[in-house]
Amino acid sequence: MDAHKDNSPTAQDSQTDLPRNRTQAVRDLKRRFMRNDILFSALFFLAMLAAPLFPDVKGWMLSQASLVIIYIIAAMGVLVLVGFTGLVSVGHGGFLAIGAYTSALLTLHLNVDLVVGIVAGMAMAGLIGAVLALIFLRLSGAFMAIGTLGFAFFVGTILNNVPFFQGRDGILLDANHVLGIEIGDHGFYYVSTICLVLVTLFVFALVNSGTGRAFMALRDAEKAAMASGVNRLKYRTLAFTLSAAITGIAGALNAHVVNYVSAEVFADIWYSVDILMAVVVGGSTVIFGPFLGGFFVVMLPFFFEQLADFSFILKGVVLILVLRFAPAGIMELLVRPLKNARRRRLRKIGGSMAAEEAE
Amino acid sequence: MLGQQILSGLATGSLYALTAIAVVVVFRNTRTINLAQGDFAMIGAFLGIIFLKDWGLNYFAMLLLVVASCMFLGAFVERVIMRPVADSDWLTLFTTTIGVYYILHGFAGWIWGRDTKAFPVSFDPTPVELFGALVSKGHLYNMGIALLIGGVLWWFFTKTKQGIAMRAVTDDPETAHLMGIPVKFIVTLTWCMAGAIAGFIGVLMAPIIYVSPEMMDEILIKGYVAAVFGGLYSFRGAVIGALMIGVAENLAGGYLGSHYKTSVAFIMIVVLLAFRPQGLMGIQQRREI
Repeated sequence: MDAHKDNSPTAQDSQTDLPRNRTQAVRDLKRRFMRNDILFSALFFLAMLAAPLFPDVKGWMLSQASLVIIYIIAAMGVLVLVGFTGLVSVGHGGFLAIGAYTSALLTLHLNVDLVVGIVAGMAMAGLIGAVLALIFLRLSGAFMAIGTLGFAFFVGTILNNVPFFQGRDGILLDANHVLGIEIGDHGFYYVSTICLVLVTLFVFALVNSGTGRAFMALRDAEKAAMASGVNRLKYRTLAFTLSAAITGIAGALNAHVVNYVSAEVFADIWYSVDILMAVVVGGSTVIFGPFLGGFFVVMLPFFFEQLADFSFILKGVVLILVLRFAPAGIMELLVRPLKNARRRRLRKIGGSMAAEEAE
Repeated sequence: MLGQQILSGLATGSLYALTAIAVVVVFRNTRTINLAQGDFAMIGAFLGIIFLKDWGLNYFAMLLLVVASCMFLGAFVERVIMRPVADSDWLTLFTTTIGVYYILHGFAGWIWGRDTKAFPVSFDPTPVELFGALVSKGHLYNMGIALLIGGVLWWFFTKTKQGIAMRAVTDDPETAHLMGIPVKFIVTLTWCMAGAIAGFIGVLMAPIIYVSPEMMDEILIKGYVAAVFGGLYSFRGAVIGALMIGVAENLAGGYLGSHYKTSVAFIMIVVLLAFRPQGLMGIQQRREI
C-alpha cells in the first residue's frame, strides 16, 4: 500500500531504468530474505525434533504436542483452500474422520504399518474430496460453507449408525508400528513432526508454484484469471482434493495418537468448525498461521481443563476480538513489521517496483 | 400409515421451516450465515425452564418472556458483536458468529451444566384424527404455532412499514438509505426477529428433544439446508425445503429404519445442488458472495 503513495519521479523511473547493478543488488537482497526464511524454518523444525531429547519431557507432553501438530496439519489443509483458493469449507472434520477411520480400520483388520495407514488415510480423503469437489464447486461462498457443513454432519451420522464403524463404542487399536518396530509417544511425536515438515514443505512449494499462483489468481480475480487461460474447474478441484488429502493425513495421525477412534469424537461437526477457527485465528494468508492457530485451539481447552465451559467462552471472545482487530489473523499481525522492514530496505535499493514485487 | 408419516413429517418440518426463515432473514439483510441461531433457541429453552420452575409462571407468560428475552439477545449480539465487523466479507461475519456460538454454548454449559434436562411442559402424544390419519396433539400444536408465526411474518413483510422497509434494505441497502430508511435500525430489527423466532423454536422444541447446550445443533443444520433450498434468499423456497426435509426424513425413518433418518437432509441437498446450484426456487443469487 505504501508503495503506491510514493510517486516521486525516481520511484517511477526506476521501474524501467533500473541499472544493472541495482537489479543485481535487489536480487541478492531477496535471495538473502529467502535464505533467512528457510534458515529460520529449518531451525524451528530442528528445535521441534530436538525437544524430546530434554530429560524433563514426559510422554504425555509429547502426545499433547502430537495433538497440536495434528491440528496444525489439518489446518494446513484448510489453509490451502481458504487462504490460497478463497473457497470456504466448514466440513473438513469429515475428511479428518475419513482419514482416521481408513487408517484405523486398515490397522484393525489388516494390521498395517502406521506409515501405510497414513498414506491410505491421505489417499482415501483425497479421493472422496475429489468426488465431492465436483458437487461443492458448483456452489459459491456461503452455499459451499453450508454444503460442506452438511457433509461433515453426514459423515457423523454414518459413523454413528452404520455398524461397521462401531459407533460410539469405538475401535481400539494396538500399539503403533513403523517398519515393524513398535513406537511409543516419542516415536509417534517424531512421525507426526516429520509429517508436519513434509506437509509444510509441500504447501510452501505449492504456493510458490504455477499451480499455487493459479489458485491465488482465481481467488483474487476469477474472471481475469479465466480469461488468461486458467482452467477454473481443474484448479479448484485440485485445490479441494489436495486440501482434503492433507486433512486426511491429520485424521490418520489422530486415530493413532491415542490408538482409539469413536463416533463420539469424530462425529462432532464442531471439529470442522475448530479447524476453520485455527486457520482464521492463526492467519489465513501466511503459511505459519495454522501453527499458531492449531496451538491455540488445542492448548486453550488443555489449560482450562477444569473449566471446559470457560474455555469455550474464552475461545469465542478471542475469535471475535481477532476478527475485529486483526482480521488477517494473529500471525499476520506478527510478521507485518518484518514485511514492512523488508519492503523499506528493498525500496531503498531498488525503487518501488521491487518493493511491490516483494509483497 | 403413509398419511401419518407425512403429517408428522410436516410437523417436524414446520419447526425446521421456522429455523430456516430465521436464517434467511438474517442472511438477506446482513450477508451473515448465523451459526448462533440455534443457540438463541437453546438459551430460550433454558430460560423457559427457569420461568416455569423457579418463577412459577404459566405457559403463555413464559412463552412471551422467552421470546422477549431472545429478541433482546439477538439485538444485543448485533449491536455489540456484529455491528463493528458489519462491513467485512462474509467469511469474517460467519466466523464471528462462530465466536458467538462458542460464547453462548460455554455460557449455557457453565451456568446450567452439560446434562440433558427435561422441559417442565411435556410433549402431548394423545392421538387426534386429522384427514384420516392419526397425529399427536403436540405435533398439531407445534404446527399451529408455526403457521401462526408464518402468518404474522407474512403480514409483517407485506403490510407493515417496517417490514416493507426491511425488504427494501434486502434489495438495495444504499438506495434504501437514500430513501430515508434507517438501515442500521432495520438490521437490528432483523436480528431481533431472528431472536424472537428462535425463542419460539426453543420453547416448541424443548419438550421433544429435551434441553442441553447441544440440543439445537442438528436442527440448525437442517434449517440451513432448508434455507439453501430457497437459495438462502426466498422464504417460500426455505419453507418448502424444510417441509420436504421433514417429510423425507420421517419416511426414511419409517421405511428404512431410524439410522438413516438424519442422513436424508444431506443426500437431499447434494441431489438438489447437483442439479440446481442456485436453490430450489430458481432465484438467481442477487449478490456476489
